[in-house]
Amino acid sequence: MLVTPTLLLAGCERMLNALLARDPASPARLSALAGSRLLVRLEKPHLQLVLHYHHAGIDLLRGDDLDETDVDAIVELTPETLSEWLSGASVERLMFDGKLSVRGRIHLLEATRDLLFDLDIDWESELARWLGELPAHSLAEGIRRAARWGLRAKDELLQDVSEYVFEEARLLPGRQQRDVLRDHLTELEISTDRLEARLNRLHRRLTQLTAQQKKTHLQSEEPH
Amino acid sequence: MSPTEERTTHFGFQEVAVDEKASRVADVFHSVAARYDIMNDVMSMGIHRIWKRLAIERAGVRPGHHVLDIAGGTGDLTLKFSRLVGPRGKVILADINASMLRVGRDKLMDNGVGGNVEYVQANAECLPFPDNSFDCITIAFGLRNVTDKDAALRSMARVLKPGGRLLVLEFSKPNNALLSKAYDEYSFRLLPKMGELVAGDGESYRYLAESIRMHPDQETLKGMMEAAGLERVEYTNLTGGIVALHRGIKL
Repeated sequence: MLVTPTLLLAGCERMLNALLARDPASPARLSALAGSRLLVRLEKPHLQLVLHYHHAGIDLLRGDDLDETDVDAIVELTPETLSEWLSGASVERLMFDGKLSVRGRIHLLEATRDLLFDLDIDWESELARWLGELPAHSLAEGIRRAARWGLRAKDELLQDVSEYVFEEARLLPGRQQRDVLRDHLTELEISTDRLEARLNRLHRRLTQLTAQQKKTHLQSEEPH
Repeated sequence: MSPTEERTTHFGFQEVAVDEKASRVADVFHSVAARYDIMNDVMSMGIHRIWKRLAIERAGVRPGHHVLDIAGGTGDLTLKFSRLVGPRGKVILADINASMLRVGRDKLMDNGVGGNVEYVQANAECLPFPDNSFDCITIAFGLRNVTDKDAALRSMARVLKPGGRLLVLEFSKPNNALLSKAYDEYSFRLLPKMGELVAGDGESYRYLAESIRMHPDQETLKGMMEAAGLERVEYTNLTGGIVALHRGIKL
């Protein structure tokens, strides 16, 4: 129980730092931030997390018994605000909306988001570390070619399947055929409406005629 | 108690002369220094990293602090502390064993740690620092190798600043009988074999297992820390008491 949050934090920290190490833009961003501490307070679940920046990455620490004067900035978040912030809403807008409370060096927050969400991981150089430059480049080229081929193949497959289904096997109607069918159906609907109206009219006239005939018949039978 | 009895102490399960213990412990660590880190990972299945991380969290070290990492060995704690204290702070990695200190220094340098770390070969029983010098002192898996633990704790309390914290991370007594049994089996049967295989030195790891059994349990160590002048001493059992983290504050 005691160890679980520590274990989770250790895992997150390791993963984060491994990713940061593979982003060519990270060292410059990290050295600008090195030594800064950002305290993040999450309301639900109640969690206090300190992000301590250093040249090689970020240390994640629990900030349970931390004094506010020991950090450079404090952010207080609700889960909704966190999800809005992560999905790209600007810090200023969230602050003006009163959803985000930030004290201290506010720019730390923007810098953190840049650092963590503008990650552009250089996989090729990581491969080069393991395999050497040339094989890594060939492999990366191969992967890129395979990815391009995969995308093209996917597009072509979709096109072929749709042509087969709609045009060749005619298992499903295409958009054009559907439109023609709809026009026919509308025409049919109008015709049946018209027919119905004519029938009603005929029926009405027939009723009137029958009534008139009955009346004439009665009048002719009356004794003079 | 006769004079000869007074002059002996334990070295694992053996009784050795007081003067002899330090050199015999030194031999153990000279022998394992090069493979110390990998052995730690193998023996504890990596859990020692979590124990150390917890100690760092409890240390509450801030930028600008002065930290003393006694028996710091290969510098696991020092590495993290050096980042936490920043350029205004200072971390001193102290170890009685030159081999361990050398391995630690090389490892820290490889990790880009420089400016704020100093290396001192020192005996924990008589620390070569002025009174009230450090905001935090840690001794992780080192106290049980010290010949006179009470003197070491007194010495640490002396160099600690008022308000400073002493953290002792050390093997202790498991609080569950079943776990204790499994742990005994593991450390007396498996551990020396693993030491033989990985570090090429089964005897040193037999000593490790024996020295853990001879180390005072949680409550005794707490009492010893209080006797050394520390207050608000508390301890946390980790992994069922296999390891305990004691923390005391000098007021």
